[in-house]
Amino acid sequence: MWKSKVKINVNEQPIELDEQANIEQLLTFLDSPLKGSAIAVNQKIISRSEWANYKLQENDQVSLFQAIAGG
Amino acid sequence: MLTDAEMLRYSRHLLLEDVGELGQKDLKNGKVLIIGMGGLGSPAALYLAAAGVGSIVIADFDCLEVSNLQRQIGYNTGDIGGDKVALMKQRMQQINPEVRVRSINTEMTKEQLLMELMMVNLVLDCTDNMASRQMINSACVDAKVPLIVGAAIRFEGQLMFFDHSQEDSACYHCLFPNEDEQALNCSNSGVIGPVVGTIGTMQALEAIKHITGLPSGIKNKLKLFDGKTLEWQTFVINKDAQCSVCGNPK
Repeated sequence: MWKSKVKINVNEQPIELDEQANIEQLLTFLDSPLKGSAIAVNQKIISRSEWANYKLQENDQVSLFQAIAGG
Repeated sequence: MLTDAEMLRYSRHLLLEDVGELGQKDLKNGKVLIIGMGGLGSPAALYLAAAGVGSIVIADFDCLEVSNLQRQIGYNTGDIGGDKVALMKQRMQQINPEVRVRSINTEMTKEQLLMELMMVNLVLDCTDNMASRQMINSACVDAKVPLIVGAAIRFEGQLMFFDHSQEDSACYHCLFPNEDEQALNCSNSGVIGPVVGTIGTMQALEAIKHITGLPSGIKNKLKLFDGKTLEWQTFVINKDAQCSVCGNPK
């Protein structure tokens, strides 16, 4: 069955996801390691405890970045 | 009252409406702990000493290596092999004999750190590894001491300010909850000197603003610095109610 899609941007690259996709599904789709990542949607950090329930919306600007420890 | 010598030394602060004599007295009464005397800690410690922060505790257990000198601007080639905190203390006192500097050259346990936190009003995390960052965050949450976190690798910098004296403050663990992860560091990824220097300098700036009572624009925010484009991105960090360090997890 045909599923409708949403268009989002991840680190300024356009990506199409299934509607209702959450952040965990996005990371799986990107083949990105879950560990060491932080995610912001529209400049707001989304806590890891919310990733499974946070549904991405059309035009969301997603920023994906890693913890850095250097100093 | 400031002495005549202090009036001269800090005259460029005294000209600023936002600092002035009152702000300079606040700085004189300021007590800051800076953990890590590398690429972040070098400019942070030098600027806070120069600014007249009255009591500064510096902590690091490393000796200076030749590969540090590309970015750790507090040190000289002739210092190689010496204790970083001893070298930095000497350098800070050469810059400003008016400030008291105490050095800690052992790796602190959380209990030791909590003791140190009783004697300061602000902490700068200038360390180079995730385990230290998580421990410092947890201790600052417990002790309700404000924490300014800096980090840098490659051409990238990260800057955060968690004011743990405020009940609703987020914490480092809300943002990066994996305590055992192998986060990127300078020795495995490389770093360009002025990027880590920029972040350490920003930590000093935020510290001076905090001590003098100026509002910070970065509390509960993550600032990402891109050394290639010179752009800063800003992200809001909300307290995670489920955070195992600062929240009330069910």
